Amino acid sequence: MQLKPAPSQLRRRLIAASCALLSTSAARSQETSAPGFVGRVLKDWQFESALAYYHEDGRIQAIEPVVNASHDYGDGGNVSLNFTFDALSGSSPNGALPSHAPQTFASPSAKSFASARHPFTTRPGNLPVDPSYSTARAAGGAEWTLPLTRLSRITLGGKLSIEDDFYSGTVNASFAHDFNDKNTTVTFGINDESDIIQPIGNTPVPLSNYAAFQKEGNKSKNGVGALLGLTQVMTRNWLTQLNVSVDRFSGYLNDPYKIASVLDAGGTTTGYIYENRPDTRTRKSVYFENRVGSEHASVDLSLRYMTDSWGIRSETAQVRTRWWTPDRQHYFEPTVRWYHQGSADFFMPWLPAVDQADTRYISADPRLANFHALTYGLKYGYELGNRLHRSSSEFTVRLEYYQQTLAINNRVPDGLQGLNLYPGLKAVLIQFGWSY
Amino acid sequence: MKIFNIVLLLTLGGSAALTGCSTVGVKPWERDILSRTDMRPDGAGLDDAIDEHLYFSKEASSGGRSFGGGGCGCN
Repeated sequence: MQLKPAPSQLRRRLIAASCALLSTSAARSQETSAPGFVGRVLKDWQFESALAYYHEDGRIQAIEPVVNASHDYGDGGNVSLNFTFDALSGSSPNGALPSHAPQTFASPSAKSFASARHPFTTRPGNLPVDPSYSTARAAGGAEWTLPLTRLSRITLGGKLSIEDDFYSGTVNASFAHDFNDKNTTVTFGINDESDIIQPIGNTPVPLSNYAAFQKEGNKSKNGVGALLGLTQVMTRNWLTQLNVSVDRFSGYLNDPYKIASVLDAGGTTTGYIYENRPDTRTRKSVYFENRVGSEHASVDLSLRYMTDSWGIRSETAQVRTRWWTPDRQHYFEPTVRWYHQGSADFFMPWLPAVDQADTRYISADPRLANFHALTYGLKYGYELGNRLHRSSSEFTVRLEYYQQTLAINNRVPDGLQGLNLYPGLKAVLIQFGWSY
Repeated sequence: MKIFNIVLLLTLGGSAALTGCSTVGVKPWERDILSRTDMRPDGAGLDDAIDEHLYFSKEASSGGRSFGGGGCGCN
């Protein structure tokens, strides 16, 4: 595994730990004496690790190492541990529109334009982005599956995630029961998420004037969800799965760093206000997946439909195929994903100044806009087999290209004619993976 | 909303029907292909987790396959 060292101490430790595990695993095969503690762990546990690098065209980049360790008890019981680290940096859109005039903004920590440590000016015609965006996230989770009977089991899990400005804790529990010679599985699960939001520079007052720097204290939100799933073995080559899920979030659901341009009738920017979203959101989704396989190939087709109380509807379709070479040493896995969403009821790319007093909810965040996205991916896998004296071991490289195209049909005021108001998003992902 | 309710009913009805159905499915010795990682619902492991995180931060929808999204201040 060619995990390249990164400047983060945590990343270096993760990489060092992964390499130590591999070298110990290889050395274990030379030993004739009883294995020690590390040897027993390596023998009994299965590890998955990945290092992903994500790069947006002209915006942010991220690096994400992930390690997952799991252990089967042999009686249907299983325990798994997961650790993730993200480091993001670059330029993040703040929600304001391009303009024919220069636009000056302050970094989120500023208490006024005069005292701002990192003010930035966006040139005419450019999308306003905060060039000093930087954050890091560390997350860890655990899941424990406990067999209740020969045909049923319960899974308990938890996850903690820490960012500079965001803390999240999630617990989940699910019950699964097999029927029909274990060809049918019905699963029911619930989860609960609690988040604390501590924005850099405190939380802006919703709908307040951006230039007024009105801030308030920390915020929180809570989410509960339930999922009902049906998995069915149809034939020796065909597995189908159907899930329905619902979740409800309440509390502070704004993005504290997003603003909206306020325009006069001619399209001239007169100011900016902070966004305000409803403080509850209920989502319902249906997920349908089919996997069909032969000796040297498989196809995975998944479809998802989602609707929510903000007026967003989305459809997702993904096809993933895998082709093995005849010796089963190598495989190639092309993937195509199509996604479309309609806009939220309160999405407005800008706020007309005449409507400012009557506006209750507004967001110019393009993630709530009408758009479609395409993902093209290709993965290569190399089966290491018993080279590392494991029952299964593989090295993978994955490349993905993601393109988001906005379809915002609001009439463009004369003052904004000729500008590329909604430039969309292009991104690439490269990922090295290693399971052993 | 109607679509969701219809599918929920189909899932419940399908679950009830399939639990007593023996015309679909395989015997234990016929699970060679189904046991491969590329045929398991959780087989893509970290790939799905990394993709879900990407889509969660760039789109308004997440999850569906399992409990998805969350744990991130990016949306």
